[in-house]
Amino acid sequence: MTSLDDYVATSPETERPVTEATEPSRYSLRHPKSRIGFLHPKVWLPLVVMLVVLGVLWEWGARSMPYLLPKLSSVGAALADEPDYYLRNAWVTLWEALLGLILGFVAAFFLAVLVSERAWARRAIMPVAVVLNVTPLVAIAPVLVVAFGFGPEPKLIVTGLICFFPILINTSVGLRAVPAEVVQVYRTLKASRLEMLWRIRVPSSLPYLFAALRIVFPLSIVGAVVAELSAPGAAAGLGTAISLASTMNRLPVVFASIAILALMGSVLLLLVTMAERRVLHWHETTKGAAG
Amino acid sequence: MKTAAIEVRGARRVYGFGPSAMVALDDVDLSVQPGRFVSVIGPSGCGKSTLLRLVAGLEPADRGEVGIHGVSPEEACAAKMVGLVPQTPALLPWLSVLKNVTLPQKVNRGAARRRAAIGEAADRVAPPEPPDMAELLRKAGLAEAAHKLPGELSGGMQQRTAIVRAFGLQPEVLLMDEPFSALDEFTRESLQEQLLDLWDELKTTVLFVTHSVSEAVRLSDAIVIMAAKPGRIIDVVNVDLPRPRGRDLLKTPEFHHLEDLIRDKLRGAWHTQVA
Repeated sequence: MTSLDDYVATSPETERPVTEATEPSRYSLRHPKSRIGFLHPKVWLPLVVMLVVLGVLWEWGARSMPYLLPKLSSVGAALADEPDYYLRNAWVTLWEALLGLILGFVAAFFLAVLVSERAWARRAIMPVAVVLNVTPLVAIAPVLVVAFGFGPEPKLIVTGLICFFPILINTSVGLRAVPAEVVQVYRTLKASRLEMLWRIRVPSSLPYLFAALRIVFPLSIVGAVVAELSAPGAAAGLGTAISLASTMNRLPVVFASIAILALMGSVLLLLVTMAERRVLHWHETTKGAAG
Repeated sequence: MKTAAIEVRGARRVYGFGPSAMVALDDVDLSVQPGRFVSVIGPSGCGKSTLLRLVAGLEPADRGEVGIHGVSPEEACAAKMVGLVPQTPALLPWLSVLKNVTLPQKVNRGAARRRAAIGEAADRVAPPEPPDMAELLRKAGLAEAAHKLPGELSGGMQQRTAIVRAFGLQPEVLLMDEPFSALDEFTRESLQEQLLDLWDELKTTVLFVTHSVSEAVRLSDAIVIMAAKPGRIIDVVNVDLPRPRGRDLLKTPEFHHLEDLIRDKLRGAWHTQVA
């Protein structure tokens, strides 16, 4: 499974908008709806072939290493056996993930506004934020569990913290990515700080914010699962289900839970991408590259 | 005598410190009467954009004074008496053309009251009612673009939108910083014509920075010629060509004579700088 470090250290992806900020933005003339439809074989065929290949490889692996990989059929059987069990645990994990994400988002957004408006705040906060961003939060999770017990609190804190930094860094860059000449035009109109923020800076930061959300929505699930895994006595959640099942050597249950986590992450990513297409129809990043 | 629309006295502006310091403007005096169209021309680094930024209140002068209708640039901006057209259109890509040009009316709503107060003191007519922006867009040939996003327009149409945005304020002073420099020759000429039409209708004082001699001659009542190192004004040439100035005027000997005169003076400035 992907470790948390891998996610936290994806700074190339987090920092991508930083480089974009230095060059003037170009707005493409292409309309987003002019792409080929999803039903065209050119679109879905490569993916279907890829899935078939992966399925065949998986079954081959399951047959030659039965102690490492369960057969797909037994994973399916595990899911069909007690769907309530997975649904209940998935719901707990999803709830932790989204609530933690909201907490992290609110904190990060307001701090990003402060940091972008005041130079002293930027100088004080950003270096600390960057260091904390590259610190593996998996290492902090057990400490938080000791401090806050086995309830939802440590899970929300870990999830919130993981989501916090990409949002803070991207949004604070985005709020400051307004072209100098736009700032000059509205400075000669003596637009107030609040008007500049609300009418110009916040809308300009949305592409950066959505870049962060694309990272952070799937990441929130990672955060919740990591917190569940480091709290051995936790009552519910798919992370708990995984650690219970693996101590009992029930491989199909482990992989069924993982499959549901992957599905949840994908659905969240899809929702963010759809929202981004809608909100940022004016921006070039929504034209072409799929989420 | 009326209060000058733009009054710059002994303005000096230095960038940097010590030996690396660069004198962008040195002892610059300039007085522009209301309703005049004045161009500023000169080689790169002569401080013409700096002069514009001082008048726009975007930078302070290190020494000297800048006044707009008798008040400081800051007060004039707070009263929305100053319109700025920068080098790039500087439109907001998420707003339609119409919303882009109406946004200036929505910010700084206290400006009208301040403008009325300054108007009385400076013996000016009361500021006019905000114009119908859709109508102004139509006059600029942008009626069909009104509900499009800036990204869907050509560079020339974007810059026209930026000009309409500035005229929409009915500013006392319109500051333009090489607004056509990124456009091709044809678009440039048609935009010059439209600018003159709009200016004719909404008589306002214009300070127009350019590095094109023919553009300066075609548009202006007077041309301020600047030289670099240190940035300073070396001459002011009055352009007494009749208005309206259509395409035919560009071919007349008077027009060419003025162009040659400005070129000679610019060359002179360049030589003194090298020597």
